Amino acid sequence: MNGWMGKILRVDLGSGKISTERLDPQLARDYLGARGLGTKIMWDEVDPNVDPLSPANKLIFAPGPFSGTFAPSSGRYDVVTKGPLTGTIAASNSGGSFGAELKFAGWDVVILEGKAAKPSYLWICDDAVELRDASHLWGKDVPTTTEMLYGETSEDAKVACIGPAGEKLVLFASVMNEMQRAAGRTGVGAVMGSKNLKAIAVRGTQGVDVADKDAFVAACGEASRKIKEHPVGGTGLRLYGTDVLVNILNSVGGLPTNNFQTGHFPTADKVGGESLAAKQLQRPRGCFACIISCGRGTKVTNPKYKGEGEGPEYETAWGFGPDCGIDDLDAVTKANYWCNELGLDTISMGGTVACAVEMFSKGIITLKDTEGLDLSPGNAEAMVEAVRLTGVGEGFGKKLALGSWRLASIYGHPELSMTAKKQEMPAYEPRAVQGIGLNYATNNRGGCHVRGYTISPEVLGVPVKFDKDATEGKPELVALFQNLTAAIDSSGACLFTTFGIGADDYAAMLSALTGVAYSGDDFIKCGERVWNLERLWNNRAGFTAADDALPPRMTEEPMPTGPSKGSVSRVKEMMPKYYAVRGWDDAGRPTEEKLAELELA
Amino acid sequence: MKVRYFALLRDATGKREEVWTRPAPDVRTLMHDLVARYDEPFAKWVMVGDALAPFVAVLLDGKDVRDRGGLDCSLDGVAEVDIFPPLAGG
Amino acid sequence: MGMMLTIHPEKCTGCRNCELACALEHEGNFRVKASRIHVYAWEREAFSVPMMCQQCKDAACSTVCMPKALTRDTATGLVDYDAAKCIGCKMCVQACQFGNIAWDAMSGTVLKCDTCDGDPACARICPTGALEWADEGLAVQPRKKSFATKLKNAFAEAQS
Repeated sequence: MNGWMGKILRVDLGSGKISTERLDPQLARDYLGARGLGTKIMWDEVDPNVDPLSPANKLIFAPGPFSGTFAPSSGRYDVVTKGPLTGTIAASNSGGSFGAELKFAGWDVVILEGKAAKPSYLWICDDAVELRDASHLWGKDVPTTTEMLYGETSEDAKVACIGPAGEKLVLFASVMNEMQRAAGRTGVGAVMGSKNLKAIAVRGTQGVDVADKDAFVAACGEASRKIKEHPVGGTGLRLYGTDVLVNILNSVGGLPTNNFQTGHFPTADKVGGESLAAKQLQRPRGCFACIISCGRGTKVTNPKYKGEGEGPEYETAWGFGPDCGIDDLDAVTKANYWCNELGLDTISMGGTVACAVEMFSKGIITLKDTEGLDLSPGNAEAMVEAVRLTGVGEGFGKKLALGSWRLASIYGHPELSMTAKKQEMPAYEPRAVQGIGLNYATNNRGGCHVRGYTISPEVLGVPVKFDKDATEGKPELVALFQNLTAAIDSSGACLFTTFGIGADDYAAMLSALTGVAYSGDDFIKCGERVWNLERLWNNRAGFTAADDALPPRMTEEPMPTGPSKGSVSRVKEMMPKYYAVRGWDDAGRPTEEKLAELELA
Repeated sequence: MKVRYFALLRDATGKREEVWTRPAPDVRTLMHDLVARYDEPFAKWVMVGDALAPFVAVLLDGKDVRDRGGLDCSLDGVAEVDIFPPLAGG
Repeated sequence: MGMMLTIHPEKCTGCRNCELACALEHEGNFRVKASRIHVYAWEREAFSVPMMCQQCKDAACSTVCMPKALTRDTATGLVDYDAAKCIGCKMCVQACQFGNIAWDAMSGTVLKCDTCDGDPACARICPTGALEWADEGLAVQPRKKSFATKLKNAFAEAQS
């Protein structure tokens, strides 16, 4: 095969049985790889009502056809499973080099089943695959685990692992690779921990083949040129990173502040990308095959928050910053480092601390509940300590580890959890930006921005400007972005390539690489297929139209301050049109016609 | 009226913000005046001839001019003008 | 004047596009283990350094090469590799102090940078200019000047 390697690795962690299967070319053609292929396998093999932290859940690691080639900024992979935070299908996307290395080892998919009897790690060296004892690694943080594994497998190996957070089943624990890159959301790290799997180390000596070399080189060259020349992807991201978004979101009144109590934070600039570049940035970083280099190599010298590594990204700076009422960049970056080292999703961690801070400020929880942690708004030290405690599973961290929805429910106030389907909403206020609110409410993994990033047209004006406060045209816009993103996520490409190229460009590269002819429409259709399959899964897991919702604060409490003062989210108004655009019935279920059209019937 | 600059424009102007006292009835006038004041590289980031450069955001008290008349927008009563070069993120 | 492939590690992002371009150029597919350039990463500090054959004037590899498969061309300044003469003894791999030559079992040859006939694929694809195909007389001028500037600034500060 070209592009794909043609093989699936299946590991039964309980029995230790390791087997190789052929990748069905038709499945590869229809679902591409990564998120799409992983979801299809989950659909075929796992009961959507399974307990996510039980051995019956499966954990899938899958790169895409582009991964391991020089399709620009396209070396990514997905971790696919049933997410313990939400109970939905979960596919968490990550960069770094791990995904490409799986391809070089000859694998398109790795399926992990059951549960190992004791802490273990998987060592994949081309065709030689072994399960090894990881007792000496259990309890170690991500950087230490990674370095120890380089030592005992190969200096050339790539490692995906969990930190103490995943081991302790924090519901938003992440899987980290190359120490600094995260498959962050929905608790995929907890699933890995529940299987007693500490890490996967992989090294490959094989090559990814290309069907039409000249056409592929030309298509990649053209795509690279467009990305580099685009004013947005070409320079901005390398200079300031994603954190450059803080100020524009704040200026339009859409920067969620103090747990989404409002959308404007007066001192936001102190944690924005410009401040980050001036104070902490060491150098930009890029994932495998990346030409954009949005990664931030950073360092904090302030002895109180000393550390180094990568980040913070926009969502991270927001989550530990304005969402908690904090403007101390050193503290924010330290919290980011804790998340990388202990293996925690920064968005859900930030959102959970923010919820706890609001409850503390209202006296719903007290110092007794927090075991002495003073979670007053703006207390940066306490925020950083809250993160650390969550990662190591101590003190109040054990409750924070449940995520904001379960935490707030324990104290009788689930309405103070700023989540959709129990996953924390990221850094864009639904009352200030109508389309992103619709995306949060309808997203198959709950509160998620990336999979339907309408901020691009609604705030940035890329590719064209939509009025953020309008509802007209938003259902169509959201559905289109969701479909295209699902296809991109399934191909191995990074979403930031969308600042530059479109469906036709991905299709051209994919066709030349794989030898399978895709048009731009075919590419988007793959994405629509994946989206609908995720929806079917969730429907079977018991999710209904009632779950396509936002917290009441978003729909009922007008924004109190800032440039978007007075607005509410009109997500309920947009929902019927969204279902219609999607080809679903009034209950949000894909119709027979839609399923037949997507060959999902 | 305060004019605020972000990202690359801070380097291009050497400022984060300034109080703009020169009369400017609309955004077009203001942008041309700023281009005249700061020249390159500021100019190439914000204007292409008599039009806003692609993906540039000019906000008047938080409202994007692209949604309500572009360069013709009046500056009457506006307290804060925020100017952003093309931005990306996620 | 001759040209050299110059490394600016402070600009390297760790993306390994160089490895991909090199592999495709020489192997026809993306087998990065066959790349003649290799990027080393220090992940805690977020720092990376690309490494490839430095085309030494007194190349240890060519000195130990008995069948003269590795020879230095004084006109181009390159250490050339003739696979037809190579006996696969791997003495060159033992000899190179930089580790910039490697044995590739799959092809039964050594892997070393040949600068792609004067148009190195790695330098072409590098998104940040961390790899630069530069006139060897001028290659380090920017670095030298950057340090000279620090000296100049130090003097200016001392005087004021």
